[in-house]
Amino acid sequence: MTAAAPPSGLSGPAGAGRQPGSTDGGAPDGAEGAPRRRGLTPYWLLAPAGLWLAVFFVAPLFYQASTSVQSGSLEEGFRVTWQFSHYTDALATYGEHFLRSFGYAATATVLCLLIGYPLAYMIAFRAGRWRNVVLVMVIAPFFTSFLIRTLAWKTILSDGGPVVRALHSLHVLDVTSALGLTGDDRLLATPLAVVCGLTYNFLPFMVLPLYSSLERIDTSLQEAARDLYATPATAFRKVTFPLSLPGVVAGTLLTFIPASGDYINAQLLGSPNEQMVGNAIQKQFLNVLDYPTAAAMSFLLMALILIIVSVYMRKAGTEELV
Amino acid sequence: MTLTLSGISKSFDDFTAVHPLDLTIPEGSFFALLGASGCGKTTTLRMIAGLEEPSAGRILLGDDDITRLPPHKRPVNTVFQNYALFPHLDIAENVAFGLRRRGIKNVRAQVAEMLDLVQLGDLARRRPRQLSGGQQQRVALARALINRPRVLLLDEPLGALDLKLRRQMQLELKRIQTEVGITFVHVTHDQEEAMTMADSVAVMYQGRVEQLGPPADLYENPRSTFVANFLGTSNLVEAKVLAGQDTAGTASAGLRVEVPGADGALRVPPDRCSAGDTEPGAMVLVGIRPEKIALVSAEEAATVPDGHNRLTGRIKDAGYLGVSWQYQVETPAGAELTVYAQNLERDSRLTAGAPVVLHWRPAHTFALDAAQDAAAGEETL
Repeated sequence: MTAAAPPSGLSGPAGAGRQPGSTDGGAPDGAEGAPRRRGLTPYWLLAPAGLWLAVFFVAPLFYQASTSVQSGSLEEGFRVTWQFSHYTDALATYGEHFLRSFGYAATATVLCLLIGYPLAYMIAFRAGRWRNVVLVMVIAPFFTSFLIRTLAWKTILSDGGPVVRALHSLHVLDVTSALGLTGDDRLLATPLAVVCGLTYNFLPFMVLPLYSSLERIDTSLQEAARDLYATPATAFRKVTFPLSLPGVVAGTLLTFIPASGDYINAQLLGSPNEQMVGNAIQKQFLNVLDYPTAAAMSFLLMALILIIVSVYMRKAGTEELV
Repeated sequence: MTLTLSGISKSFDDFTAVHPLDLTIPEGSFFALLGASGCGKTTTLRMIAGLEEPSAGRILLGDDDITRLPPHKRPVNTVFQNYALFPHLDIAENVAFGLRRRGIKNVRAQVAEMLDLVQLGDLARRRPRQLSGGQQQRVALARALINRPRVLLLDEPLGALDLKLRRQMQLELKRIQTEVGITFVHVTHDQEEAMTMADSVAVMYQGRVEQLGPPADLYENPRSTFVANFLGTSNLVEAKVLAGQDTAGTASAGLRVEVPGADGALRVPPDRCSAGDTEPGAMVLVGIRPEKIALVSAEEAATVPDGHNRLTGRIKDAGYLGVSWQYQVETPAGAELTVYAQNLERDSRLTAGAPVVLHWRPAHTFALDAAQDAAAGEETL
């Protein structure tokens, strides 16, 4: 192995990410005493993030978990009664919302991949000196708030606006209507608008991980494939794409997970018929003030996402990827 | 099947990497392109592989023009500088890659045979990153050779290995080349590597071939200062051409030159003079390899054989290298000459400051055109 052994004394969490098969250096110089102090360093480095997570993630999680099994009302107060019916009730009432959320999120993720992969590929291999400019353009939308950007889409897709008129005169809207994606000759308040909004808003989360995994691929590997009788298409299929899989997995997760829980796009670009589970949770928390049901729905969403993601990860088989 | 490069050149925007170049590489030969980094040798190799498109000229393999063929249609394979092994495939699949692309289904026997040739049979299921540099190098070789290419291109294949392993792989590569009989075109910046392995060497400098020939010819009779300095070391001294009175008319007529401040003339054989202007009075660079020079104390000047070229000087520095002594000798000509003397019986008078006579056989002398940089190709640290 050419990989240098990590500094001695780095044990515990910091030393866990080593390559399989690399032999431990054994660190014969690791005298007693010196490593003792260094041994604590990783934990000190972890402390700020750990503390942050404990206060703002773990504690609220437990608080919400307990809320989800309470019963009562806002006037009388809520008490923990281990009432698990909130979960089954939520699933019965809002099953459609869950399905719709995952459907929209999955569609948006696939669209992001289809749009993002060529873009990331171009930035990584063909952009030359424009690489940084294009990368800045990819993240430029983040300089404006998520809400403002989605509102802008509302204007772009508005009834009678240029996009609707153009698509109408090209008879594209007839096709999408026939597919049930739009209706009444409009784009706003249709599933298409919501999916477009999600795709637009989460595209950078797909492009950046894809770019970083493509960019790490040694171009001599593509040349080696071409030299070994692979056509450009085969070289992509057999070498470039498999090596970019870690980026594909990271990008799809970073897109699918937040898109599943999103409610802004459905609220601004959709109608009540396009409500996603995020909208339902928001309504329970802020309008109905039924905190236990809202908390139960949040946990259901989390659990379902975890299941989907773990099945996906197993299918994608990321374990041996570089 | 002869590989012919005919007038091939490559320019990038405002930079010419390879000037029009003609090379003929006979079938089955071990051919080295030797030069410092940036001399155009790798670009030349990549044009043969099809990874770089020539700006002009033609590449012929036998009678077939392959100039415009994409890399996957050329019967040529490359061993890349950093091996470029596919990290997501195991060793056997790396080696089988080319066969599979050509639609060959049953590759197992061929892969096993090829891994045996490079002595890696037991590592077939490992991943490239689990192998040492030398093993990866062998995999890269096996991956290319399994396709039985007409020409195998090697781009600094030993550059990433340590010295001892490099020596070992040099012999190994030579053995494999002899065994498979495929034409090898080897790009390297290591003159020793080129000399030990290649049948013919083309020395490249600034996008041009400076000199081409068997290693011994290049070393013994360099035709330019770059070759003289890049292959080993040379002493180059400016000298003025004298009228050739005493040898005129005889069969051994050569050049007689005079080093300023030297006693008597130096003689250069006719076939070892590559200077353009050899009229009496013209300046040339006279060259002699350090190991060809004999060094005697000035008191022994009478022992110098008649007919030898000779210069007097004074030892500036005597360095002990174990296997030899290295002397720096100042001559009245102003030039400083390096002399290697085998560590046999050494005259104890040969110490710093001692006056000495340098002498050597005229047959070892060469003359180069003075209108070039005398320091070209010298190692700069």
